[in-house]
Amino acid sequence: MSQLRLLAGRALTAGPEGLNEHLRRIGPLPAGGPELIEVLTRSGLTGRGGAWFPLGVKWRTVAAHSRGTAVVVANGAEGEPHSKKDRLLMTTRPHLILDGAFLAARAVRSKQVVLYVGEEHHAARQSMSAALAERSDEERRMVRTVSSPARYVAGSSSAAAHLVNTGIATPTTTPPSAHESGVDGAPTLVQNVESLAHVALIARYGDAWYRSAGRRGGAGTLLVTMSGGVAGPGVLEIEAGTTVAEALEMAGGATEPPGAVLVGGYFGSWVDAQQAWELPLDAGALRTRGLSLGCGVIGLLPKSRCGVCETAGIMRYLATESSAQCGPCFFGLRALADACSRIAERGSNPPDLQRLQRWANEVKGRGACHHPDGAVIFLQSALKAFAGEFAQHPAHWRAQASETRRPA
Amino acid sequence: MSDTVLWYTTRGAGAVTLILLSAVVVLGVLSALRAQSPRWPRFLTTGLHRNLALLTLVFLALHIVTAVADPFTHLGWLAAVVPFSSYYRTLWLGLGVISFELLAAIVVTSLLRGFIGHGAWRAIHWLSYASWPIGVVHGFGTGTDAWSAWMLVLTIACVAAVAVSVGYRLMNGPRDPLATERTAFRAAVERRKES
Repeated sequence: MSQLRLLAGRALTAGPEGLNEHLRRIGPLPAGGPELIEVLTRSGLTGRGGAWFPLGVKWRTVAAHSRGTAVVVANGAEGEPHSKKDRLLMTTRPHLILDGAFLAARAVRSKQVVLYVGEEHHAARQSMSAALAERSDEERRMVRTVSSPARYVAGSSSAAAHLVNTGIATPTTTPPSAHESGVDGAPTLVQNVESLAHVALIARYGDAWYRSAGRRGGAGTLLVTMSGGVAGPGVLEIEAGTTVAEALEMAGGATEPPGAVLVGGYFGSWVDAQQAWELPLDAGALRTRGLSLGCGVIGLLPKSRCGVCETAGIMRYLATESSAQCGPCFFGLRALADACSRIAERGSNPPDLQRLQRWANEVKGRGACHHPDGAVIFLQSALKAFAGEFAQHPAHWRAQASETRRPA
Repeated sequence: MSDTVLWYTTRGAGAVTLILLSAVVVLGVLSALRAQSPRWPRFLTTGLHRNLALLTLVFLALHIVTAVADPFTHLGWLAAVVPFSSYYRTLWLGLGVISFELLAAIVVTSLLRGFIGHGAWRAIHWLSYASWPIGVVHGFGTGTDAWSAWMLVLTIACVAAVAVSVGYRLMNGPRDPLATERTAFRAAVERRKES
C-alpha cells in the first residue's frame, strides 16, 4: 500500500534533496532518447495533471511534429485549491522533475524546457531554482522558469503556452492544441511535474518495474492529497488501485463521521461516503464507474457539514475562475452558481432545482476549454449525491460562506 | 401524394424558413447585448440561437425537397445545388440556392467549431449577413405568395426586425459583451516580474 517511489529517500520535512544525494540514491540519469517513448508506452504511465492521458501517445505526437524545435513545459502550476502534491514534489524531490524534463526534451528533440510553477508556491520555486543551479551548464541553458498566476485555469496546457507566448495565462481555443502549436508556435509538450518524476524512475528501472506496483489491476504509484475531515491531511504516495478506505487509514482516519467524499477535486465528483470506501484510486477503474481521479484530491465532508452549502461555495469559486472568454462558460456558470446560492441562502425551491438540471446540460461542451464541462460534472454529481439535501434545504447559508473563495 | 400538397408545402415551408431564419439572425445580433434576468440568463440566448438555426435547416430542407420532388416544376436535383443552373427563374432560384449553401456552411462550421478552430468559425459566421438578405430577396423575387398581403406583411416584419436589431446593436451594443470581465481576468493572470 505504502510503497514509496517518488517520495522515497530523505524525510519530506528535511528540505529538498540535493543532486549528489539524488544520484547516490537512484543512480545517474540515463541517456534516454526516442526509445524512451516505447518504454513509457509499455509502462502505461498516464498524465497526472488530471486528464490521465497516456504519456507514450502524447510524446510520440510531439516527437512527430518536432523538427528539433519542440518545447517541454514542466507544469507545476497546481491551481486546484486542495491539491498539494505537485508543490510537495517540487519542494522535496526537484531533481526527479528536472530529470524527467530533460528526458522528455531528448525524447522529443527539444532544446527548451520551461518550468511553469505557481507564483504562490514560493518554497517550490526556490527548491527548483536551487536544484537547477546544481545541474550542468548545458542543462541550465535549456531551462527558463515562468511563474503561473494563482488562477484555476492557468494550469491548462493551452494557458501555459499562452502565458509563455503573450504573458496572459488564459486558455486558448483548440485546435491547434499545445502539442501541435504551443510556445512560439512550436510543438509543445506540457507535462505535469509528477508525470515527469515518474519518467525519471521509469527511464532508470524500466516499464516492468513501474507496473510491479499496483493493486486490483492498477499499475504504478500515484500521489493523492487527502483533505477535509481527515486526521492527517496532506499528500500520500499510494499504489494505483488502493481503495479510498485504505488511503484514509494511511492518513490517520476520519476526524468525524463522513457524509460524502469529493473524488478528484473540483472537476471531480461527490460520492456518498458509504459508496466511496471501496472505490479503487485508479484512473482507469474510476473512469469505468463514470468518475475521474482528476488531480488526485480526496476530500472528506463530515456529516455535520452541509453538502448543498459546500457545493454552492465551490460553484461560486468555479464561476469566478471563468476567464470570461466564452459566453456559455462565463454567464452559464454564474447563473448556475446563483441558483445554487439561492437554494443555499433562501432554502430549497423547485424552480431553481429545475434550472440547475436544465441549464447544466446547456453549458456542457460550449467553452473553448473544458472549464465549464468540469464545473458541470461536479455540479451534477452534487445534485445526485445530495439529492435529498437539495430537495429539502433550509435557508441557512451564512453570508461569509459566500466569501470563501477556496472552501476548506 | 398530390402535386398540390407538395406545392403548398414548398410555399409554406419557405415562409416558415423566412420567419425562423429572421429570428435566428435577430437572436445572433442581440446575443451580444446585455439582456438577461434570473429566469433567462444570457447563455440561454445563444442556446436558443443554435437550436432555432438547426430547426431552420429542417424547414429549409422541406422547402427544397418538396420543390424538387414536385413533378410539375421539373427542377431536378442539379438546380437545387448549383446556383443559376435552373431553366426556371434562373436568377431568383439561383439566389435561393446561394442563400441555402451559405447557411449550410455556417451550420456545418458551427457544429465542427471544435475541430476547425475559433478564428475560422468566426470568419465563416460573418456569412450570416449575406445568407439572410439573399434568402429574403429570393423569397420576394420568386415567391408565389410574395405579393399577397399576408406574405408582404410577414416579409416586411422580418426585414424590420432584423434592421431594428442590427441598428440597435450598432448604436448601443458593446462590441464584446465580455470585454470588461475579460480585461479584468487578463489583468489578474498577466505575467508577473520574473524572480
